[in-house]
Amino acid sequence: MMEEAASQLERDHVHNVYDKIAPYFNDSRYKAWPKVRQFLLDLLPGSIVADIGCGNGKYLHINKEVFKLGCDVCRPLVDFAWSQGHEVQMCDGLCLPYRDGCFDAVLSIAVIHHFSTKERRIRAIKEMARTLRVGGRIMIYVWAMEQKRRKFEKQDIFVPWNPNPHLASSCNREDAKPRRRVTAQSVSEVIDNTENHRKVRSTSSVADEEDMTQMVPQQGTQRLWFFSRSLDSVFDFGSLAISWPSSRDLRQLSSATGESEGNKANQRVRGRGLIKQVSSFFSPPSVIGSEEDVFDSDVDLQKGQNDSGGPSNPTNNKGKENQGVSVSLVQECGSLALPDLISLQQEHLKQSEDQSPREPIGTEQQEGRESPEGSEEQVEASCLRYYHVFREGELAELIEHHVEELHVIHSYFDHANWCVVAEKVQVWKI
Amino acid sequence: MKLLTHNMLTSHVKGVTKGYPLLIKATEVKVNEVEFNPKFVCRMIPKLEWSTLVQAADQLGHREELPGELVPDYEKNGDFLKKVHRVLLEVEVIEGCLQCPESGREFPISKGIPNMLLNEDEA
Repeated sequence: MMEEAASQLERDHVHNVYDKIAPYFNDSRYKAWPKVRQFLLDLLPGSIVADIGCGNGKYLHINKEVFKLGCDVCRPLVDFAWSQGHEVQMCDGLCLPYRDGCFDAVLSIAVIHHFSTKERRIRAIKEMARTLRVGGRIMIYVWAMEQKRRKFEKQDIFVPWNPNPHLASSCNREDAKPRRRVTAQSVSEVIDNTENHRKVRSTSSVADEEDMTQMVPQQGTQRLWFFSRSLDSVFDFGSLAISWPSSRDLRQLSSATGESEGNKANQRVRGRGLIKQVSSFFSPPSVIGSEEDVFDSDVDLQKGQNDSGGPSNPTNNKGKENQGVSVSLVQECGSLALPDLISLQQEHLKQSEDQSPREPIGTEQQEGRESPEGSEEQVEASCLRYYHVFREGELAELIEHHVEELHVIHSYFDHANWCVVAEKVQVWKI
Repeated sequence: MKLLTHNMLTSHVKGVTKGYPLLIKATEVKVNEVEFNPKFVCRMIPKLEWSTLVQAADQLGHREELPGELVPDYEKNGDFLKKVHRVLLEVEVIEGCLQCPESGREFPISKGIPNMLLNEDEA
């Protein structure tokens, strides 16, 4: 039963999503991680290496002296890899179609964090270990729970996808409806009820991000994560808790902005509400489980400029405060070292250092306003990717305790990923 | 799908113990020109199941004097290496299927890509 639920979750929130977003994966942002590249370059000439979960095949061109093959469940991505001249197959990470010990090396870059139970993650690692020859090495990258300045509050999350990542995300339009605070609703129900998620910016996994210096500077990012309880601990699918901003925040947001193009203040205000939403998912290490209390005491509060037309609410004053705090949160969240937005983090760290107000992207914001409704909204609504983000040491422990045929050689943190290099060892059974 | 890849592929249908090698039924085969690197081919040979390679080449009608067993001192045999190179890397199955020798289950190859995904009841 658990197995069915796990596989259904992965079908809906990994496979189906990648099928939809595959066309956007060939954005120039997505390049190979340097350490992964080095791992491949260090292989002996004549080696055979498999990239399990190869996606669009971005690692398959590295090192002409070795034979590479890749596989993935996502057909559009595999098709693309093929079009680049690579040997690729469709297959499932839990049941690899390769004979025992046929590879000298295996890559698993930003893949196993998509498996929804611990047992499946172990199985995936064991399968890859099976295909490795004794002495062969595997490199595994997974998203880290611990980011530079914040931690994900939970380990099992849904991350939305924005098909237009270069467009600044405006969190609402003038027709945004006020939302009641909801909790304990199913994810899909909540998605249907709101428009906010549609303007969330998200990219693919961290393994795809290139060095930040080449990134186009982005506005304060607005991100949204839905936290789910791990399937391992709770089998009941209905108990997903999501927190939404109060209607007050949203109304302030919608009325505070005009339609003036390129108005930076407006754009900043737009960011606030959604960031407030994001804030409720994060907590500083000392505060666990609190949804609202996310601000550092040393946060530099900027007072909001647009506080017009707020709701007739006795706590208008507080509203203003919230707005001010939210603005600072934009900076906070913008500087979060998220797995998939590491380059943005660097950008915003630079900006915060300058002590200058965040620079939104004028033209891109305009584009954002022109963006179509309907279909894009639909795509985003259903494009929630499931991730199990790993704690420090979790990946190495998983291998040490459950995969005796692998011996961990290196364990490190790389750009918001936990990484392990392990070697296949001969296991003698009596 | 190149024959070097095919050499690694096996059927993983539940319950099957002898899923290797997969039989190739090709409806479209292409031969490309790939830069010959004798050292590369040399290093590949020990990693191959040689009989599988010969059988596969045969099934595609591209065996062309490939010996049934490895020749001794093949490292120095340029002709031999060239033949192996051709069969390993230049011959490609574009359309067809791979058949599990034990269960008979067919895995389609389309646009050069084998689909090895199993149905729920086969996994």
